[in-house]
Amino acid sequence: MYNKSQAALEFLATYAWAFIVITITISSLYYFGVFDFSRYLPQRCIFPAQFKCLDFSLKPDEVRVKLVNNLGEDIKVTSLQITNDATPPISCTPPLGFDWTHSTEKDIAFTPCSGGAYIVGERAELRITIGYYAVNTPSKPVHIINGKVNGRVTSG
Amino acid sequence: MAESHPANRKSQSSLEYLLVVALTFAIIVPITYLFYNYSKESSQEINDAQVTKLGRSIVDAAESIFYSGQGSKTTIELIIPDNVQSVVIIDNREIVFNTTTSFGVSEFVFFSSVNLTTNGSCNANVCNVPGLANSGLKKVKIEAISRNSVDI
Repeated sequence: MYNKSQAALEFLATYAWAFIVITITISSLYYFGVFDFSRYLPQRCIFPAQFKCLDFSLKPDEVRVKLVNNLGEDIKVTSLQITNDATPPISCTPPLGFDWTHSTEKDIAFTPCSGGAYIVGERAELRITIGYYAVNTPSKPVHIINGKVNGRVTSG
Repeated sequence: MAESHPANRKSQSSLEYLLVVALTFAIIVPITYLFYNYSKESSQEINDAQVTKLGRSIVDAAESIFYSGQGSKTTIELIIPDNVQSVVIIDNREIVFNTTTSFGVSEFVFFSSVNLTTNGSCNANVCNVPGLANSGLKKVKIEAISRNSVDI
């Protein structure tokens, strides 16, 4: 009886250690981001085809996107917003409204940026909202488009 | 060479089985995650392309019918994607597709050089195009009803 209980206790002690070692190993791997599979996704900038995204850059205090006006109409951009899912979300100062001729490119810079887990070397997923109206439409209704930038914040 | 105990052989095969299953999971789970995310973004781009194509089709057909003269008409077949919530005509010159995406609501706007009208309900200068509101295959009649406007 005594021998059996000793064997059972040794069995439990051995497996408890094994369990602790495995837990610590997995926690360490998780801490160092080994299980963050999103880092292996390509860096992308997705906007509707009418505002095709040509390029983007994510700097420590600046988000910059280059878009082209493919609407076939001259427009006036009235509002620009940027946000993400962090709590609190990223806070950037958007550029002021501007006129945008059709078939031309615009370099839109949000700066300075802070908060929102926007850290150098880390992956950031940002949503950009643009409000605009067509200058030739009499009632000038404001339209909204959304885009997404998914990339790594680089210091260079 | 000593023959191994039957219990040892069983435990070895169990361990090997567990290792193979663990390795399989370690490969399958990240790959599934990556492909799922990649395909989600690709489906977004496909929906965008579909809406752009059908918007251009409507405007091109309307302009073509307008310049063919009063009484001209045609029917075009369009496949409306699931993410289109409503379609409106504003100021008789903008046809607007309100769509939902994984990152918010977007409006796809197409501009016509001819006056567009519709028989849907209107609120001030905004008229609903009820025939295009639901997803699926739709037959859209486009007719030059007068000398200065095309009805959708």
